[in-house]
Amino acid sequence: MNAKRILFLSVVSLWIAATAPAALVWEKTTVELNPALGAPSAVGVFKYENKGNTAVHFKGAPRTSCGCTVAALQKNEVAPGEKGEITATFNIGDRTGVQMKTITVETDDPQNPTTVLTLKANIAQLLELQPAFVFWQAGEEAKPKTILAKAGKGVTLKNVEVTSSSGDFTARVEPGPAGQFKINVQPKDTGKALNATLTVKPDAGTGAAKVYYAQARVMPPGTAKP
Amino acid sequence: MKTLLRQSLLLIGLALLPAAGQALYYRDKVSWQTPVAASEMVTLPQAQSWSADTIWIDARPQDEFEREHVPGALLLNEDRWNELLPQVLAVWAPEKRVVIYCSSESCGSSREIAHRLRKEAGLTNVFVLEGGWEAWKKEKQ
Repeated sequence: MNAKRILFLSVVSLWIAATAPAALVWEKTTVELNPALGAPSAVGVFKYENKGNTAVHFKGAPRTSCGCTVAALQKNEVAPGEKGEITATFNIGDRTGVQMKTITVETDDPQNPTTVLTLKANIAQLLELQPAFVFWQAGEEAKPKTILAKAGKGVTLKNVEVTSSSGDFTARVEPGPAGQFKINVQPKDTGKALNATLTVKPDAGTGAAKVYYAQARVMPPGTAKP
Repeated sequence: MKTLLRQSLLLIGLALLPAAGQALYYRDKVSWQTPVAASEMVTLPQAQSWSADTIWIDARPQDEFEREHVPGALLLNEDRWNELLPQVLAVWAPEKRVVIYCSSESCGSSREIAHRLRKEAGLTNVFVLEGGWEAWKKEKQ
């Protein structure tokens, strides 16, 4: 057999190996979710079909990239021609923005022993506080500091209500630029350590009753300056 | 020799075709950037040398934190961010360093927590522990 023939056969074998259909075929390996404002969880479904000639077995439960995601198998064995799905539940908690979580599935399918499924969730935010923490050094002039309450994408804020957990701090709300609100926080005194939690209730007219928090603090005397 | 070179180039070219296809198909699905800069990572020996000026934050789920954690560490994860953040801010001071860990090198929650502490609370000196809880456990064994 000459070199040309060996090369040709190698290329053909590689091509066949690379293009041979996998037994377990996934409809989608990435699912994008847009849960409603304030939704506690988001559920993604990954559908598959065994297009091979032999049964495929899942090797144990799917592994998730985060404790916040739980993936459930419908069955452990998938017969030829059989369809099924994996349901992934992502607990949103206090997460914000774009969240990417992966689910790793292992099977005895020699063509495709490991599949990584991706759950992409766009967590809508009603409000963003910038910053969510204001502080004063001990002895610093007790001037007000501003927290900007910005509406999330596609949200129009009608009003923002703020209450302080401590009478040592006052919080006044005034309208800011471009539909934002300014929360002016002021300590009564900076001679001693003080703490307060500011509870921020946005009214966006959506009915979603999500509450946000900011912190205000006067550092204890003797704390170094930044 | 010429033939061998030509055949090698042909094989390399054939191998590059599917690779280029995959790179194009997955171009927006794979992160090519490390979310945390090297300067914001810290090794365990470094973090331990900071001693009393360090606030340790455990970014793992509550049940894992309750089983075992770095002595003195505070729990802060995104499951209950709003509820847990005040206890961190109550002990924070500008001169203190914050070291965050999650389960292992591959987990992402410590990076997420570090990002939020910087962006939302405006904290500085926030670091992610290389190797996470696994590195701590290994060192203590």
